Amino acid sequence: MSLVLDKHFDNDRCRNYVNDILTVLHCHHYATLFTQLAIDARDIVNGTKILYETSEDIFSKTLTDYFNKNNISDKNERLKLAQEMFSAFGLGKIEMASLDENGGLVEMPVAHIDDGWLQKWGKFNSPVNYIGAGYVAAMLSASFDKPVRTYTVEEQESKVTGAAKTVLKVSV
Amino acid sequence: MAIDRNKVIEQMSKVSVEANSDGLIPAFNVLVNSFPAEFWNEFTRRMVDAVNEDIVDAVEELFVNAAHECGYHTGYGIITSKEWDAIVKPMVENTEDILHGAYAVFTAWGWGKAEIVELKPNERMVVKVDDYYESDIKDSCAGKKAPRMMAYMIRGVSGAFMDLAYGGDYDPTGESAMYTFECNQTKGIETGDSYGEFVVEKRNES
Repeated sequence: MSLVLDKHFDNDRCRNYVNDILTVLHCHHYATLFTQLAIDARDIVNGTKILYETSEDIFSKTLTDYFNKNNISDKNERLKLAQEMFSAFGLGKIEMASLDENGGLVEMPVAHIDDGWLQKWGKFNSPVNYIGAGYVAAMLSASFDKPVRTYTVEEQESKVTGAAKTVLKVSV
Repeated sequence: MAIDRNKVIEQMSKVSVEANSDGLIPAFNVLVNSFPAEFWNEFTRRMVDAVNEDIVDAVEELFVNAAHECGYHTGYGIITSKEWDAIVKPMVENTEDILHGAYAVFTAWGWGKAEIVELKPNERMVVKVDDYYESDIKDSCAGKKAPRMMAYMIRGVSGAFMDLAYGGDYDPTGESAMYTFECNQTKGIETGDSYGEFVVEKRNES
């Protein structure tokens, strides 16, 4: 089964919905500036953890709702649909290099945050894709019926620091 | 005013924004994303909640600046896009029409039902916004009411729209023509008002 996206614009409220989820359009400037804000706030608050966990929480809910509404229980099918949804949000492309319920590696040859950051500022000295990493954690927990925070996702390689693709390590 | 607001909203809301085979959405000279609105609101709320009261103002300013920069570049991308040329440009007679058209597009993008209610060219603009997504932040707050006005995105984007209209030629670096205006929020649905109100004025450099 391929991902089904039911998009509609509520003419009365002027709001966009995808599968009954309220969505908004923003740009890479906004997403990368939110990321930079989270990084720069390190001395006063753990902003990158908040960004990662917000991503994990919101996308886990989004994916779980989709799986439940469409009666999708097969784990591999769930992972495939989560990959497709990542792209549908404009977040880029996920490739599962070696991944199962116990973790593994995920690759992002293209990523909204990384490519947007490079386009806006160029290279940086550390990985920046906390939104993408949070999504991967959500993808795993939603697909394997685990609570959020079951998985830890960390960038091993980043396009922003000069790697050819972003590689994320998933552990339990 | 030459802008047929309803026509712009109707037609712009139908513009298809689809990801390419790389999972990216290149449009309006930027990479677009289409996230659940709750993501943006929830990150904002958690960050503001996490910091001490004495630095909330500074964190709020960072959120406003993020939106200002986004609004400046994406706003320029919108008013120079083929979609703008096809739908809005034929109605544009002057700079003020561009601003009215920009808020119609703002509305079509699902950010809020925004309309200019007062405009003194190159000086001051008041925008009324109904049903903006940032006001939904109240649903995550105690008593369904936010402790402060939190429509930072609308503040930033509104300042940026005035920059684009009156701040000089567009500067891709953002160094010369951005932040010539600033926006303050004077009413907020999230704090109990029936609509949001935003006042944009020239930035005081002193």
